[in-house]
Amino acid sequence: MSDTVIVIPARNEAPALGGVLQEIRKISMQVIVVDDASSDETSHVARENGAEVLSLVIQLGAWGATQTGLRYALRQGAQTVITLDADGQHEPAHIVDLLRPLHEGTADVVIGSCPMRVSALRRLAWNYFRWLTRLRMDDLTSGFRAYNRRAMEILASREATLLDYQDVGVLMIMRAKGLRVSEVAVEIGLRRNGVSRVFHSWWVVMRYMIETTVLCLANVGGQTSLQKRDLEVEQPERTP
Amino acid sequence: MIPYQWTTAIIGFLIAGSILFLVRRDHMHGPYAVWWLASSAVVVLISLFPGFINLVAGRLGIAYPPILPVFVGMGLILIKMLTMDLERSRQELKLRRLTQRLAMLEATLEPVRNAEPDSKPGADTPEEKPVSAR
Repeated sequence: MSDTVIVIPARNEAPALGGVLQEIRKISMQVIVVDDASSDETSHVARENGAEVLSLVIQLGAWGATQTGLRYALRQGAQTVITLDADGQHEPAHIVDLLRPLHEGTADVVIGSCPMRVSALRRLAWNYFRWLTRLRMDDLTSGFRAYNRRAMEILASREATLLDYQDVGVLMIMRAKGLRVSEVAVEIGLRRNGVSRVFHSWWVVMRYMIETTVLCLANVGGQTSLQKRDLEVEQPERTP
Repeated sequence: MIPYQWTTAIIGFLIAGSILFLVRRDHMHGPYAVWWLASSAVVVLISLFPGFINLVAGRLGIAYPPILPVFVGMGLILIKMLTMDLERSRQELKLRRLTQRLAMLEATLEPVRNAEPDSKPGADTPEEKPVSAR
Protein backbone atom coordinates (compact mmCIF):
# COMPACT_ATOMS: atom_id res chain seq x y z
CA MET A 1 0.00 0.00 0.00
CA SER A 2 1.22 3.50 -0.81
CA ASP A 3 2.00 6.08 1.86
CA THR A 4 -1.03 8.25 1.08
CA VAL A 5 -4.45 6.70 0.69
CA ILE A 6 -7.81 8.23 -0.16
CA VAL A 7 -10.75 6.92 1.86
CA ILE A 8 -14.26 7.51 0.53
CA PRO A 9 -17.26 6.53 2.67
CA ALA A 10 -20.18 5.80 0.35
CA ARG A 11 -23.78 4.77 0.80
CA ASN A 12 -25.94 4.36 -2.29
CA GLU A 13 -23.67 6.67 -4.26
CA ALA A 14 -23.39 4.60 -7.44
CA PRO A 15 -24.51 7.43 -9.78
CA ALA A 16 -21.95 9.96 -8.51
CA LEU A 17 -19.10 7.71 -7.38
CA GLY A 18 -17.84 6.79 -10.86
CA GLY A 19 -17.20 10.44 -11.75
CA VAL A 20 -15.43 11.08 -8.45
CA LEU A 21 -13.14 8.07 -8.91
CA GLN A 22 -12.33 9.05 -12.48
CA GLU A 23 -11.29 12.50 -11.24
CA ILE A 24 -9.05 10.91 -8.62
CA ARG A 25 -7.45 8.64 -11.21
CA LYS A 26 -5.86 11.75 -12.72
CA ILE A 27 -3.72 12.19 -9.59
CA SER A 28 -2.92 8.46 -9.32
CA MET A 29 -3.53 7.73 -5.66
CA GLN A 30 -4.72 4.55 -4.05
CA VAL A 31 -8.41 4.71 -3.19
CA ILE A 32 -10.39 2.76 -0.61
CA VAL A 33 -14.17 3.02 -0.93
CA VAL A 34 -16.03 2.00 2.22
CA ASP A 35 -19.44 0.81 1.12
CA ASP A 36 -21.80 1.59 4.01
CA ALA A 37 -24.27 -1.27 3.42
CA SER A 38 -25.48 0.17 0.13
CA SER A 39 -28.44 -1.35 -1.63
CA ASP A 40 -27.31 -0.12 -5.06
CA GLU A 41 -24.25 -0.82 -7.22
CA THR A 42 -21.83 1.31 -5.19
CA SER A 43 -19.33 -1.54 -4.61
CA HIS A 44 -19.47 -2.60 -8.24
CA VAL A 45 -18.92 0.96 -9.52
CA ALA A 46 -16.00 1.40 -7.10
CA ARG A 47 -14.29 -1.82 -8.25
CA GLU A 48 -14.91 -0.99 -11.91
CA ASN A 49 -13.06 2.27 -11.36
CA GLY A 50 -10.05 0.65 -9.72
CA ALA A 51 -10.82 1.28 -6.04
CA GLU A 52 -10.34 -1.21 -3.24
CA VAL A 53 -13.69 -1.83 -1.55
CA LEU A 54 -14.49 -2.46 2.11
CA SER A 55 -18.10 -3.62 2.39
CA LEU A 56 -19.87 -3.05 5.69
CA VAL A 57 -22.66 -5.54 6.30
CA ILE A 58 -24.37 -3.17 8.75
CA GLN A 59 -24.84 0.54 8.10
CA LEU A 60 -22.46 2.46 10.39
CA GLY A 61 -22.98 5.97 9.04
CA ALA A 62 -20.44 8.30 7.45
CA TRP A 63 -18.11 8.37 10.46
CA GLY A 64 -18.29 4.61 11.07
CA ALA A 65 -17.42 4.03 7.42
CA THR A 66 -14.60 6.58 7.54
CA GLN A 67 -13.19 4.98 10.68
CA THR A 68 -13.22 1.60 8.94
CA GLY A 69 -11.11 3.13 6.17
CA LEU A 70 -8.72 4.64 8.74
CA ARG A 71 -8.34 1.32 10.55
CA TYR A 72 -7.68 -0.52 7.30
CA ALA A 73 -5.18 2.08 6.08
CA LEU A 74 -3.35 1.84 9.43
CA ARG A 75 -3.17 -1.92 9.19
CA GLN A 76 -1.77 -1.62 5.70
CA GLY A 77 0.91 0.79 6.89
CA ALA A 78 -0.33 4.02 5.30
CA GLN A 79 1.18 7.22 6.70
CA THR A 80 -1.45 9.68 5.49
CA VAL A 81 -5.14 9.41 4.72
CA ILE A 82 -7.32 11.81 2.77
CA THR A 83 -11.07 11.49 3.24
CA LEU A 84 -13.59 12.91 0.83
CA ASP A 85 -17.27 12.50 0.13
CA ALA A 86 -18.59 10.21 -2.58
CA ASP A 87 -21.18 12.69 -3.82
CA GLY A 88 -18.74 14.76 -5.86
CA GLN A 89 -18.73 17.84 -3.62
CA HIS A 90 -14.99 17.75 -3.03
CA GLU A 91 -12.57 18.64 -5.77
CA PRO A 92 -9.66 16.13 -5.81
CA ALA A 93 -7.44 18.87 -7.22
CA HIS A 94 -7.36 20.40 -3.71
CA ILE A 95 -5.79 17.27 -2.19
CA VAL A 96 -2.30 18.73 -2.64
CA ASP A 97 -3.40 21.80 -0.64
CA LEU A 98 -4.55 19.54 2.20
CA LEU A 99 -1.34 17.53 2.18
CA ARG A 100 0.99 20.55 2.31
CA PRO A 101 0.63 21.35 6.07
CA LEU A 102 1.05 17.64 6.88
CA HIS A 103 4.23 17.39 4.84
CA GLU A 104 5.55 20.61 6.35
CA GLY A 105 4.87 19.16 9.80
CA THR A 106 2.70 22.08 10.91
CA ALA A 107 -0.50 20.06 11.41
CA ASP A 108 -1.74 16.55 12.26
CA VAL A 109 -5.15 17.07 10.66
CA VAL A 110 -6.04 19.40 7.82
CA ILE A 111 -9.65 20.27 7.09
CA GLY A 112 -10.75 21.42 3.65
CA SER A 113 -12.92 24.30 4.75
CA CYS A 114 -15.71 26.08 2.91
CA PRO A 115 -18.12 27.56 5.48
CA MET A 116 -19.93 29.64 2.86
CA ARG A 117 -21.39 26.56 1.22
CA VAL A 118 -24.04 26.05 3.89
CA SER A 119 -27.29 27.86 4.64
CA ALA A 120 -27.61 30.68 7.17
CA LEU A 121 -29.54 28.33 9.45
CA ARG A 122 -26.75 25.78 9.51
CA ARG A 123 -24.19 28.52 10.11
CA LEU A 124 -26.30 29.53 13.11
CA ALA A 125 -26.15 25.93 14.38
CA TRP A 126 -22.37 25.91 13.90
CA ASN A 127 -22.05 29.14 15.90
CA TYR A 128 -24.08 27.53 18.67
CA PHE A 129 -21.80 24.47 18.76
CA ARG A 130 -18.68 26.66 18.59
CA TRP A 131 -19.97 28.60 21.59
CA LEU A 132 -20.75 25.38 23.44
CA THR A 133 -17.45 23.64 22.74
CA ARG A 134 -15.05 26.58 22.22
CA LEU A 135 -13.91 24.89 19.02
CA ARG A 136 -12.23 27.39 16.72
CA MET A 137 -12.75 25.73 13.34
CA ASP A 138 -14.66 27.61 10.64
CA ASP A 139 -16.08 24.46 9.06
CA LEU A 140 -17.33 21.89 11.58
CA THR A 141 -18.75 19.30 9.22
CA SER A 142 -16.44 19.11 6.23
CA GLY A 143 -15.61 15.51 5.34
CA PHE A 144 -12.71 16.67 3.15
CA ARG A 145 -9.77 16.08 5.50
CA ALA A 146 -6.20 14.88 5.64
CA TYR A 147 -4.88 12.90 8.62
CA ASN A 148 -1.32 11.97 9.50
CA ARG A 149 -0.39 8.67 11.13
CA ARG A 150 -0.79 9.95 14.70
CA ALA A 151 -4.25 11.35 13.99
CA MET A 152 -5.23 8.07 12.29
CA GLU A 153 -4.17 6.07 15.34
CA ILE A 154 -6.20 8.27 17.67
CA LEU A 155 -9.31 8.32 15.51
CA ALA A 156 -9.22 4.59 14.82
CA SER A 157 -9.42 3.87 18.55
CA ARG A 158 -12.43 2.45 20.38
CA GLU A 159 -13.31 5.73 22.04
CA ALA A 160 -14.06 7.27 18.64
CA THR A 161 -16.22 4.34 17.57
CA LEU A 162 -19.53 5.28 19.18
CA LEU A 163 -19.66 8.65 17.44
CA ASP A 164 -22.47 8.93 14.93
CA TYR A 165 -21.22 11.95 13.01
CA GLN A 166 -17.78 13.02 11.85
CA ASP A 167 -18.08 16.61 13.08
CA VAL A 168 -18.13 18.02 16.62
CA GLY A 169 -17.44 14.74 18.47
CA VAL A 170 -14.45 13.92 16.27
CA LEU A 171 -13.11 17.48 16.53
CA MET A 172 -13.39 17.35 20.32
CA ILE A 173 -11.40 14.11 20.46
CA MET A 174 -8.73 15.72 18.26
CA ARG A 175 -8.52 18.67 20.63
CA ALA A 176 -8.49 16.46 23.74
CA LYS A 177 -5.59 14.46 22.33
CA GLY A 178 -3.62 17.57 21.46
CA LEU A 179 -3.73 17.09 17.69
CA ARG A 180 -2.82 20.16 15.67
CA VAL A 181 -5.73 20.93 13.37
CA SER A 182 -5.51 23.47 10.60
CA GLU A 183 -7.97 24.53 7.94
CA VAL A 184 -7.34 25.17 4.28
CA ALA A 185 -9.89 27.07 2.22
CA VAL A 186 -11.21 24.93 -0.63
CA GLU A 187 -14.04 25.18 -3.11
CA ILE A 188 -16.84 22.74 -2.40
CA GLY A 189 -19.32 22.15 -5.18
CA LEU A 190 -22.91 21.04 -5.27
CA ARG A 191 -23.78 17.42 -4.63
CA ARG A 192 -24.14 15.43 -7.82
CA ASN A 193 -27.13 13.75 -6.26
CA GLY A 194 -29.04 16.68 -4.80
CA VAL A 195 -29.97 16.72 -1.12
CA SER A 196 -27.95 15.84 2.00
CA ARG A 197 -28.27 12.20 2.99
CA VAL A 198 -27.55 12.93 6.64
CA PHE A 199 -30.01 15.80 7.14
CA HIS A 200 -32.87 14.68 4.96
CA SER A 201 -35.67 15.83 7.27
CA TRP A 202 -36.35 18.33 10.04
CA TRP A 203 -36.83 15.47 12.49
CA VAL A 204 -33.30 14.22 11.76
CA VAL A 205 -31.94 17.76 12.12
CA MET A 206 -33.65 18.15 15.50
CA ARG A 207 -32.33 14.79 16.71
CA TYR A 208 -28.85 15.74 15.53
CA MET A 209 -29.02 19.07 17.40
CA ILE A 210 -30.14 17.41 20.65
CA GLU A 211 -27.66 14.51 20.45
CA THR A 212 -24.74 16.78 19.59
CA THR A 213 -25.67 19.19 22.40
CA VAL A 214 -25.65 16.27 24.87
CA LEU A 215 -22.29 15.13 23.48
CA CYS A 216 -20.86 18.65 23.91
CA LEU A 217 -22.18 18.96 27.47
CA ALA A 218 -20.92 15.48 28.37
CA ASN A 219 -17.43 16.47 27.27
CA VAL A 220 -17.24 19.77 29.13
CA GLY A 221 -14.04 19.52 31.17
CA GLY A 222 -13.40 16.07 29.71
CA GLN A 223 -10.15 17.08 28.10
CA THR A 224 -7.94 15.68 30.86
CA SER A 225 -9.87 12.46 31.36
CA LEU A 226 -9.74 11.74 27.66
CA GLN A 227 -5.98 12.26 27.62
CA LYS A 228 -5.49 9.85 30.49
CA ARG A 229 -7.13 6.94 28.74
CA ASP A 230 -4.98 4.50 26.87
CA LEU A 231 -5.46 4.10 23.19
CA GLU A 232 -5.99 0.88 21.39
CA VAL A 233 -3.70 1.39 18.45
CA GLU A 234 -4.14 -0.51 15.21
CA GLN A 235 -0.96 -2.37 14.37
CA PRO A 236 0.24 -2.60 10.79
CA GLU A 237 -0.56 -6.00 9.36
CA ARG A 238 2.38 -8.33 8.95
CA THR A 239 2.37 -9.41 5.34
CA PRO A 240 3.38 -13.02 4.81
CA MET B 1 -62.82 -13.67 52.29
CA ILE B 2 -59.23 -15.09 52.04
CA PRO B 3 -56.40 -13.42 54.00
CA TYR B 4 -54.52 -10.82 51.94
CA GLN B 5 -51.24 -12.74 52.48
CA TRP B 6 -52.63 -15.48 50.23
CA THR B 7 -53.22 -13.03 47.39
CA THR B 8 -49.74 -11.50 47.70
CA ALA B 9 -48.13 -14.95 48.02
CA ILE B 10 -49.90 -16.24 44.88
CA ILE B 11 -48.81 -13.17 42.90
CA GLY B 12 -45.25 -13.50 44.25
CA PHE B 13 -45.02 -17.21 43.36
CA LEU B 14 -46.47 -16.56 39.88
CA ILE B 15 -43.81 -13.91 39.17
CA ALA B 16 -41.01 -16.04 40.62
CA GLY B 17 -42.25 -19.11 38.72
CA SER B 18 -42.34 -17.23 35.42
CA ILE B 19 -38.77 -15.98 35.94
CA LEU B 20 -37.52 -19.45 36.88
CA PHE B 21 -39.25 -20.91 33.83
CA LEU B 22 -37.53 -18.38 31.53
CA VAL B 23 -34.14 -18.99 33.14
CA ARG B 24 -34.50 -22.78 32.95
CA ARG B 25 -35.50 -22.54 29.27
CA ASP B 26 -32.28 -20.59 28.56
CA HIS B 27 -34.17 -17.51 27.48
CA MET B 28 -31.99 -15.44 29.75
CA HIS B 29 -28.22 -15.09 29.80
CA GLY B 30 -26.42 -15.82 33.11
CA PRO B 31 -25.78 -12.34 34.60
CA TYR B 32 -29.33 -11.21 33.82
CA ALA B 33 -30.75 -14.42 35.31
CA VAL B 34 -29.00 -13.67 38.64
CA TRP B 35 -30.71 -10.25 38.85
CA TRP B 36 -34.13 -11.68 38.04
CA LEU B 37 -33.78 -14.67 40.37
CA ALA B 38 -32.85 -12.33 43.21
CA SER B 39 -35.84 -10.12 42.33
CA SER B 40 -38.19 -13.12 42.32
CA ALA B 41 -36.85 -14.24 45.74
CA VAL B 42 -37.52 -10.77 47.18
CA VAL B 43 -41.03 -10.74 45.69
CA VAL B 44 -41.82 -14.13 47.28
CA LEU B 45 -40.42 -13.13 50.67
CA ILE B 46 -42.32 -9.85 50.75
CA SER B 47 -45.54 -11.51 49.60
CA LEU B 48 -45.22 -14.20 52.32
CA PHE B 49 -44.30 -11.76 55.07
CA PRO B 50 -45.95 -8.41 54.20
CA GLY B 51 -45.68 -7.38 57.86
CA PHE B 52 -41.92 -7.00 57.29
CA ILE B 53 -42.65 -3.87 55.24
CA ASN B 54 -44.54 -2.29 58.14
CA LEU B 55 -41.64 -3.10 60.47
CA VAL B 56 -38.97 -1.55 58.23
CA ALA B 57 -41.15 1.46 57.36
CA GLY B 58 -41.77 2.10 61.04
CA ARG B 59 -38.03 1.99 61.78
CA LEU B 60 -37.33 4.41 58.91
CA GLY B 61 -40.02 6.84 60.05
CA ILE B 62 -42.23 6.33 56.98
CA ALA B 63 -45.83 7.22 57.87
CA TYR B 64 -47.44 5.24 55.03
CA PRO B 65 -45.65 1.83 54.81
CA PRO B 66 -47.06 0.61 51.43
CA ILE B 67 -45.15 3.41 49.69
CA LEU B 68 -41.81 1.89 50.77
CA PRO B 69 -41.79 -1.09 48.33
CA VAL B 70 -43.15 1.19 45.58
CA PHE B 71 -40.33 3.69 46.16
CA VAL B 72 -37.61 1.02 46.39
CA GLY B 73 -39.04 -0.79 43.36
CA MET B 74 -39.02 2.41 41.28
CA GLY B 75 -35.40 3.04 42.26
CA LEU B 76 -34.38 -0.48 41.30
CA ILE B 77 -36.20 -0.19 37.95
CA LEU B 78 -34.28 3.03 37.26
CA ILE B 79 -30.97 1.33 38.08
CA LYS B 80 -31.89 -1.66 35.95
CA MET B 81 -32.77 0.56 32.97
CA LEU B 82 -29.51 2.46 33.36
CA THR B 83 -27.45 -0.73 33.40
CA MET B 84 -29.41 -2.02 30.39
CA ASP B 85 -28.51 1.10 28.38
CA LEU B 86 -24.87 0.81 29.48
CA GLU B 87 -24.86 -2.80 28.33
CA ARG B 88 -26.52 -1.85 25.03
CA SER B 89 -23.86 0.80 24.44
CA ARG B 90 -21.12 -1.75 25.12
CA GLN B 91 -22.75 -4.16 22.68
CA GLU B 92 -23.14 -1.40 20.07
CA LEU B 93 -19.43 -0.66 20.35
CA LYS B 94 -18.56 -4.33 19.93
CA LEU B 95 -20.96 -4.65 16.99
CA ARG B 96 -19.46 -1.66 15.20
CA ARG B 97 -15.86 -2.80 15.75
CA LEU B 98 -16.81 -6.30 14.60
CA THR B 99 -18.56 -4.98 11.50
CA GLN B 100 -15.49 -2.91 10.64
CA ARG B 101 -13.19 -5.87 11.26
CA LEU B 102 -15.29 -8.12 9.06
CA ALA B 103 -15.11 -5.62 6.20
CA MET B 104 -11.32 -5.36 6.61
CA LEU B 105 -10.95 -9.12 6.72
CA GLU B 106 -13.04 -9.58 3.57
CA ALA B 107 -10.94 -6.98 1.75
CA THR B 108 -7.76 -8.74 2.85
CA LEU B 109 -9.07 -12.08 1.61
CA GLU B 110 -10.41 -10.72 -1.67
CA PRO B 111 -7.19 -11.33 -3.67
CA VAL B 112 -7.31 -14.97 -2.54
CA ARG B 113 -10.98 -15.28 -3.48
CA ASN B 114 -10.34 -13.70 -6.86
CA ALA B 115 -7.52 -16.13 -7.51
CA GLU B 116 -9.95 -19.04 -7.20
CA PRO B 117 -11.35 -20.34 -10.48
CA ASP B 118 -14.91 -19.17 -11.40
CA SER B 119 -14.83 -16.42 -8.75
CA LYS B 120 -16.48 -13.06 -9.28
CA PRO B 121 -14.91 -10.01 -7.55
CA GLY B 122 -16.98 -8.81 -4.60
CA ALA B 123 -19.74 -11.33 -5.16
CA ASP B 124 -22.05 -11.62 -2.17
CA THR B 125 -23.51 -14.87 -1.02
CA PRO B 126 -27.18 -14.54 0.02
CA GLU B 127 -26.35 -14.48 3.76
CA GLU B 128 -23.90 -11.62 3.23
CA LYS B 129 -26.50 -9.14 2.01
CA PRO B 130 -26.14 -5.81 3.81
CA VAL B 131 -28.63 -4.80 6.47
CA SER B 132 -29.53 -1.41 7.84
CA ALA B 133 -29.27 -1.39 11.61
CA ARG B 134 -29.01 2.32 12.45
